[in-house]
Amino acid sequence: MKAMRTLLGLAFLAAALPALAEGPAIGATAPVFALKTLDGKDFSLASAEKADKLVVLMFIATECPYSNAYNDRMRDMAAAYAGKGVQFVGINSNSTESVEDAVAHAKKHGHTFTIVKDPGNKVADLYDARRTPEVFVVDKDGKLVYHGRIDENYEDATKVTSPDLKNALDALLAGQPVAKAETKAFGCTIKRA
Amino acid sequence: MTRIRTTPPRAAAAALLLFTLAVSGRAADATLLKGELDGKELSAAIAKQKGHVVLVNFWATWCVPCREEFPDFVRLEKAYRDRGLRVIGVSTDLAKDLPKVEKFLAAAPPDFPNYRKKSGGDDQDFIESVDAKWGGELPFTVLYGKDGRKVRVLSGKQSYEDLEKVISPLLRSGP
Repeated sequence: MKAMRTLLGLAFLAAALPALAEGPAIGATAPVFALKTLDGKDFSLASAEKADKLVVLMFIATECPYSNAYNDRMRDMAAAYAGKGVQFVGINSNSTESVEDAVAHAKKHGHTFTIVKDPGNKVADLYDARRTPEVFVVDKDGKLVYHGRIDENYEDATKVTSPDLKNALDALLAGQPVAKAETKAFGCTIKRA
Repeated sequence: MTRIRTTPPRAAAAALLLFTLAVSGRAADATLLKGELDGKELSAAIAKQKGHVVLVNFWATWCVPCREEFPDFVRLEKAYRDRGLRVIGVSTDLAKDLPKVEKFLAAAPPDFPNYRKKSGGDDQDFIESVDAKWGGELPFTVLYGKDGRKVRVLSGKQSYEDLEKVISPLLRSGP
């Protein structure tokens, strides 16, 4: 399986993979990828899986009101779970938003978690990510264990009744199954190239 | 002593409103939205149009590509109405943004009905009632054939030409 994932990653790096019609299902192997962070460093999902218990991939935007409504929640959750072995990674796949836009946005909102730019929205295609914000959680075995929203209330963080991402992370860290592993919410379409 | 009959203020206001509506002939414009819908009510509204090709567009005022795409639906409905196309718009804006919705619709009033997704409940239930594979991204458009069955979903902003390509064969198909 590891060999297959490596091959998949290499194929992706060669930019030879066509867009997948559907993303990975819960329990399936999450496609590995490697991208540059906003400050020019290398980020590889395979390495992150080795280093951390869980990796939270968040497709985000600088201009989307729905994504922006979660700026503080993303920042706070990334900080709260950093010491628990959970790495948060923002992925900006919007062709309409530059690296400079993403850098300025991260600075403005205090996003110190890793953010990568996804040129040509190849990672968004690999995961069939459609909207911002949209979250995929990958475990240490490289399996997709949660996909969907951060919570159900984009309008008011103080009135959240279904903190789905938090519930999933807490369950996974406790070695429990995730009760709601697939969730949905409105969001902005990812602006593909 | 002569008693002067005065019109109570509330009655006067109501009379003024009726007069204004009668003169303007635009009673419906008091609100350009036709109302609110949940998933079941939307299905019923679509079912009422059986025999027509129905295009349902989900949009929001905060969604830039939705706003850019919307005039194409207005144009499409005008061009294909007589050939059997029916368009329904569904705003997913929050209740607090109703004034923005009304302002957007008033800027270029469409000839097709627009509703707002009913407040309350979990958006996931509404999204899945429309299409199990819809992730919630906007804009999103669903096409129903003349038999009332869902035939196509379109994720993201579409061009006018692509919309024409999709609806033309549906309009030409049998009853």
